[in-house]
Amino acid sequence: MIPFEYLRAGDPAEAVAAVAGRPGAAFLGGGTNLVDHMKLGVAGPDLLVDVSRLPLDRVEETAGGLRIGAAVRNSDLAAHPLVRERYPVLARALLSGASGQLRNVATTAGNLLQRTRCPYFQDVTTPCNKRVPGSGCSAAGGYTRYHAILGASEHCVATHPSDMAVAMVALDAVVAVLGPGGARTLPLAELYRLPGDAPQRDTVLEHGDLIIAVELPHLPFARRSAYRKVRDRASFSFALVSVAAALDLDGGLVRDVRLALGGVAHKPWRATRAEAELRGGPATEDAFRRAAEAELAAARPLPGNAFKVAMTRNAVVATLRALAEEGR
Amino acid sequence: MKTETRTSLGVGASAPRPDGALKVAGAFAYASDLWLDGMLWGATLRSPHPSAWIRSIDVGPALALPGVFAVLTHEDVPGAKFYGLEHADQPVLAVDQVRYQGEPVAIVAADHPETARRAAAAVVVEYEVRAAVTDARRAALDPACPLVHPGGNVVRHQPVRAGSAGSGAEVVVTGEYEVGMQDQAFLGPEAGLAVPADDGGVDLYVATQWLHVDRDQIAPCLALPEDKVRLTLAGVGGAFGAREDLSMQIHASMLALRTGRPVKIVYGREESFFGHVHRHPAWMRYEHGATADGRLVYVKAEIVLDGGAYCSSSPAVVGNAASLGVGPYEVENVWIDAYAAYTNNPPCGAMRGFGAVQACYAYESQMDRLAAACGLSPVEIRVRNAVSQGSRLATGQVIDSPAPLAAMLGELAAMPLPGPPAYAPSGSRRQGGSGARARGMIGTREEPDPRRLPGGVGRTTRGEGVRRGVGYGVGIKNICFSEGFDDYSTARVRVELLGGEPHALVHTAAAEVGQGLVAVQAQIARTELGVDRVTVAPADTSVGSAGSSSASRQSYVTGGAVKAACEAVRRRLEALAAADPGLSLGELLDRYGPVEETREYRHRPTVPLDPVTGQGDSHTQLALCVHRAVVDVDVELGLVKVVELAAVQDVGRILNPLALEGQIHGGSAQGLGLALLEEIQMRDGRVLNPSFTDYLIPTILDMPPMRLSILENPDPNAPYGLRGAGEPPTLSSTPAVAAAVRAATGLALPRVPIRPEDIALAHTG
Repeated sequence: MIPFEYLRAGDPAEAVAAVAGRPGAAFLGGGTNLVDHMKLGVAGPDLLVDVSRLPLDRVEETAGGLRIGAAVRNSDLAAHPLVRERYPVLARALLSGASGQLRNVATTAGNLLQRTRCPYFQDVTTPCNKRVPGSGCSAAGGYTRYHAILGASEHCVATHPSDMAVAMVALDAVVAVLGPGGARTLPLAELYRLPGDAPQRDTVLEHGDLIIAVELPHLPFARRSAYRKVRDRASFSFALVSVAAALDLDGGLVRDVRLALGGVAHKPWRATRAEAELRGGPATEDAFRRAAEAELAAARPLPGNAFKVAMTRNAVVATLRALAEEGR
Repeated sequence: MKTETRTSLGVGASAPRPDGALKVAGAFAYASDLWLDGMLWGATLRSPHPSAWIRSIDVGPALALPGVFAVLTHEDVPGAKFYGLEHADQPVLAVDQVRYQGEPVAIVAADHPETARRAAAAVVVEYEVRAAVTDARRAALDPACPLVHPGGNVVRHQPVRAGSAGSGAEVVVTGEYEVGMQDQAFLGPEAGLAVPADDGGVDLYVATQWLHVDRDQIAPCLALPEDKVRLTLAGVGGAFGAREDLSMQIHASMLALRTGRPVKIVYGREESFFGHVHRHPAWMRYEHGATADGRLVYVKAEIVLDGGAYCSSSPAVVGNAASLGVGPYEVENVWIDAYAAYTNNPPCGAMRGFGAVQACYAYESQMDRLAAACGLSPVEIRVRNAVSQGSRLATGQVIDSPAPLAAMLGELAAMPLPGPPAYAPSGSRRQGGSGARARGMIGTREEPDPRRLPGGVGRTTRGEGVRRGVGYGVGIKNICFSEGFDDYSTARVRVELLGGEPHALVHTAAAEVGQGLVAVQAQIARTELGVDRVTVAPADTSVGSAGSSSASRQSYVTGGAVKAACEAVRRRLEALAAADPGLSLGELLDRYGPVEETREYRHRPTVPLDPVTGQGDSHTQLALCVHRAVVDVDVELGLVKVVELAAVQDVGRILNPLALEGQIHGGSAQGLGLALLEEIQMRDGRVLNPSFTDYLIPTILDMPPMRLSILENPDPNAPYGLRGAGEPPTLSSTPAVAAAVRAATGLALPRVPIRPEDIALAHTG
């Protein structure tokens, strides 16, 4: 770990100014990802601006939706009565992530901004385009079991580890950002980037941009929603694949649907093709399977993760099937 | 001497452990908590490459940092440059080449741990990277494979030849099996504190498994006589074999002697994965021949173990894999070749089960294949071939104490099975109803408690696609060191008056590594001496060697030594009492003063296996454990929930029921971990998951309740008739879980750990 300065910001504007004015500065939330990376030598900020105690720790009701402060802890968000009532997919995604201890300190914005995961990214003795742009990708020809099957590039095949973000992407979440140039909002799905030829950038945020809140829009049928996470261990392990889904049925037909996938790409993957395939169609297992296969037609599995294609398809079908049965 | 009333916490009682409450409360002092004013902190620079020449090392930039007191390389090793448990082939610090990722190259002492780490990082090492040898099968069997060490890549090849090569079998089954690299995953990282002494020697406080074998390796490297290297056991946070080899001992001692200051070294979690040996990965090819009614005619096997970069205890691991490679079954004709090979993977050595684990997974998988081929149940095929007292092993050794395997299997099979699954049977997808509610289901939609289902709280299923399977596993493990090793322990016992009450002090060098030996030693003293108040002194090298806390041997050997020393004390007290009849023990001690005796205890001698035929009475004691596993498998997603593990183990004599059950639970959990989760992921000689985030050990949600039956058929050769108990459950739980998953899925599953994709891909293409 290299030396760094520490500043506890008094308000969001001060935090933004402090980071924007220093190229090596970084925001510190719960620290469950950044501090690990500092220990490993993956990250070396020279100034940490602590935003975890800013007054951004409220969950507020909006017109049928919720506004979640950036500093709301994962445990608190999962336990919030309105989250559990209106967006069970989010509560379940949160509870399937990390461990109880980690959820108690991890923040909403920090969860969104976790770096993508790859063993070579974390091992500073190996080449990695994300850590050292242009140095090469060690995962190419290497160990790729946890890696992407969708949207990867020759420069990076890492996957985004958040469970919460998968649920939020499915729920059409919007992110409120305060930057050096002022405040703005953008859909969460547009926050994340695919690696392309600049895998060092996980998101479209500029240096100094601070996430203030996440807004969940009114989505009544999300009351029937579910998150399924397939992993090696029953607790505290990352998703091999995961599925966030909400289903709106009209008799035997799909009136509307939200579907997002985790563990398959550099970002939480909104399954828009599958959604289009499903809308207006029959709520049957065959239709669910065809929709999953339509989404996965673009999959380009690596030598170590071909299993993820079938696993994702099966997880999608099982999730939608269960939601459809609940609705009958 | 008046007859004493029997103490309540003697042999057979669940005597509480003096360290237990402290550990649970977080108040126990582990080696990483050691502290002396003015001490320095050591750090280790490790090779980033699995194989490379070292062209140069420049310590100048590290020495230039303020707060740095010493930066040492191989040139600074005062004495022997190499050490090792069986062969001194491992450099204290790399000389001109590195043979595995993480090999120590230079060490630093500084006044702050962070300064020490930065200084280590500032050492400039010029490497010339070489191609790494990472395929153990090639290293062992292909003469064209590049050499890791000049003497050849085969660490040991041990054949076993009995009877004649296979003929007369009516049924033949073959299989190739693979076991991944398991880590001991102890919680307390490698740690110790070296203190320079006025006599030019060093006092080392360290978490280890065997103080004297550490000393015997440290002293030559420091160019010190043994009496100037004094070790005291510091708090050990788990071992499981990983502390049998040296880690930071010589390094801290070198830095302390060089700087004249106490030096503490504590490995971080990631470093710990590079700081100790692992369980040997194995590739095994088996062929079993049997009669049509399932009686074994012959077994052929080739077992290749990846020894990694240095020898460690690989030769003894090979001896176990070879001699126990058939399992606890009677078979006339045996043809086994077991190898360990050098590679540029991490060194592999001792881990709970020690070579017997890998073979057990393979031979038990074979027994299930044979059962299927013969149309017999898994229990019946095992019963028909089970050893018993008087049976002859493939090595020619006769089992001369109780080995009631058939009865154990019968008892296991008769145990009630766990209740029906917490979900609707296959084919029905609707959930709920009063039955579901009655079984304690949670949630608002009458869905089953997800913790009972594959996938757990990931809620991957509510019962659809889930199939149940039941599997059996049987294991046989040698207890104590084998193959002619002079295996002994030493105990000093002193009885005296303290505060007017008789008190016994038990002093051995035996390492308490979490197994509960410290309680058992006191229990033995209470029983033998009739004294309630017993203190077990800290383990150190001021008393003779106790041997290693491994091979399930300490209750046997150190227990035997404590018993012998107590008996010697008791005889002296009885002589005094005879001369002075009518006095109580307290009065005798008051009149005659303390009574102290020291005794060594050895188990029966063993002999090395014949290097050509593998024949010989190589083991002193053999222990059996049998497991039944019940699993639910989500075949769509490949997720496994172990619903129950049941076990029957014969321990000869129960010394401490609570500690024993803990050992069986823990060993079973470690075996479950190997079956389903635990593997160090290696690629091209690099470790890819050196953390407890990525190296997955079972959590309480992965480990099911256990049903135990513990038998006490005494071994007449052992103290109290006991039989070592820590390792056997680790063997048999792995194949039992694997067999249950096979039963649920119909898949071959020839490799552990079994991963979700091994199941889901096979089912869905």
